[in-house]
Amino acid sequence: MTSPGVVIVGAGQSAAVAARALREHGYRGRITMLGRERHRPYERPPLSKAVLVAAEEPRLDVLTEESWARSNIDLLSSSDAVALDLLQRHVRLADGQVLEYEMCLIATGGEASTLASAPPANPRVHYVRTLDDARRLRAALQRAPQVAILGGGFLGLEIANSALSVGAAVTVLERATSLLDRFLPPEASAWLESVMREAGARLLLGAFVSGVDSLPSGRLHLTTNAGDLEVDEVVVAIGLSPNDALARDAGLEIAAGGGILVDASCRTSNEHVFACGDCTSQQRPRQAAPRRLESWQNANEQARTAAAAMLGAPLPAPAVPWFWTDQGEHNIQVLGVPAPDLEYVRRGDPAANKALWIGHRGAVPLHGVAVNAGSDLRAIRPLFERGRPVQLEDFQLDTINLRAWAKQMQADAVATV
Amino acid sequence: MDWIKVASAEELRNDEAKTVNVAGYGVALYRIEDEFFATDSMCTHATALLSEGFVEDGCVECPLHQGRFDVRTGKAMCAPVTVDLRTHAVKREGDDIYVLSPVGK
Repeated sequence: MTSPGVVIVGAGQSAAVAARALREHGYRGRITMLGRERHRPYERPPLSKAVLVAAEEPRLDVLTEESWARSNIDLLSSSDAVALDLLQRHVRLADGQVLEYEMCLIATGGEASTLASAPPANPRVHYVRTLDDARRLRAALQRAPQVAILGGGFLGLEIANSALSVGAAVTVLERATSLLDRFLPPEASAWLESVMREAGARLLLGAFVSGVDSLPSGRLHLTTNAGDLEVDEVVVAIGLSPNDALARDAGLEIAAGGGILVDASCRTSNEHVFACGDCTSQQRPRQAAPRRLESWQNANEQARTAAAAMLGAPLPAPAVPWFWTDQGEHNIQVLGVPAPDLEYVRRGDPAANKALWIGHRGAVPLHGVAVNAGSDLRAIRPLFERGRPVQLEDFQLDTINLRAWAKQMQADAVATV
Repeated sequence: MDWIKVASAEELRNDEAKTVNVAGYGVALYRIEDEFFATDSMCTHATALLSEGFVEDGCVECPLHQGRFDVRTGKAMCAPVTVDLRTHAVKREGDDIYVLSPVGK
């Protein structure tokens, strides 16, 4: 009897990269991929940008045509896995089909968190998580509407910039009193706020919505603590909930804050089941508690780790968390993980739209933030990988060559071992 | 087939890049040790100049999303880039660096 092979539940970024990695490691068994959507695995970062506004929808496939063919994946699209049986080692689909597995990889991603007052069923309310969601919002934006965006996080602001670029009137309502204050140093947050206002967004900070009502005209009336407002469309971007229900119901361990608990090799609490991407919460070495990372990089890195671990191959070196967001003309990148007690030093000038911050504890770089300075952040990445103190005075001097400084700091770190 | 003088060797240090003008066309010029290479300056994935990218181990990383290209061959090395970059012939005469004009190719 042939082995039932690997069943991948989910067909997004992480699922596709894992399947390809299994083949790259020489895996020749069967790979079955279960996708809830009707599409092949596609890239999500463009959903809030090019898909909304570009003249032509960009190519979104995670794997090129050639790579897809070579990976030899049996994709069952529009299929919903409803139960995972850890003892029988099978996955049951909504249509009753049962798929046995030798190893299972859960890559179910996440779903947009919903706001009770703005249910997704309302045709004027948009949540942007899937390609079909983005296409529907794109159609609405072509009417140059008045839009309220609930949530001023990275996604909400990207959508705001996209909407502004096609002539929509945009109001962003954010509960916090400054933008992205958990992810950016105050100077970068203030810069982003000014950039958004210059682009024409009306920003309501410290604002929240208590009611969204449809008017006879079809427009929506919003009741907020900052006054009432009337718009054509509402976009809700208040975060992501990990799709961990299948794992939870199967009895796999779930992390305290949600997400399927996985170890450094992306293995769940069951030895035959792995998980990767947005649906996970990972316990890494030297980390106090498991952590969820919702990013394109994490989806890719965990996919490669899971594939290697499933086949008993050496695990790729863990990467420092890295994240980017394109806000209109501006590119923001974040390296490492923020913490409330970090101190920040800066190089460059946000007023000139180019700056780089290092958040550090005792001169050990832990959190890097770049505004239109991605290459500079890339040049200092080895210092975040090393985790040793660096000399931060020179970093702030424009007269010092950053790359030379980074190389010197690496050499010093070695010398002090 | 025109060779256009675009730079002097000392304008670039090892692992540096800059945009040069070749017959009105923006080209990214790279220095890897004492060799020079040229590619299209625009990333094949997003609106970004590779001349502002990070050069290491013979590859350039896009400043926006860290897609990586081999500067010798233009080959797209890792996601999110999938489309190869066009390369341009480079020759060095003394300290002068020439790029073959892409116009009329």
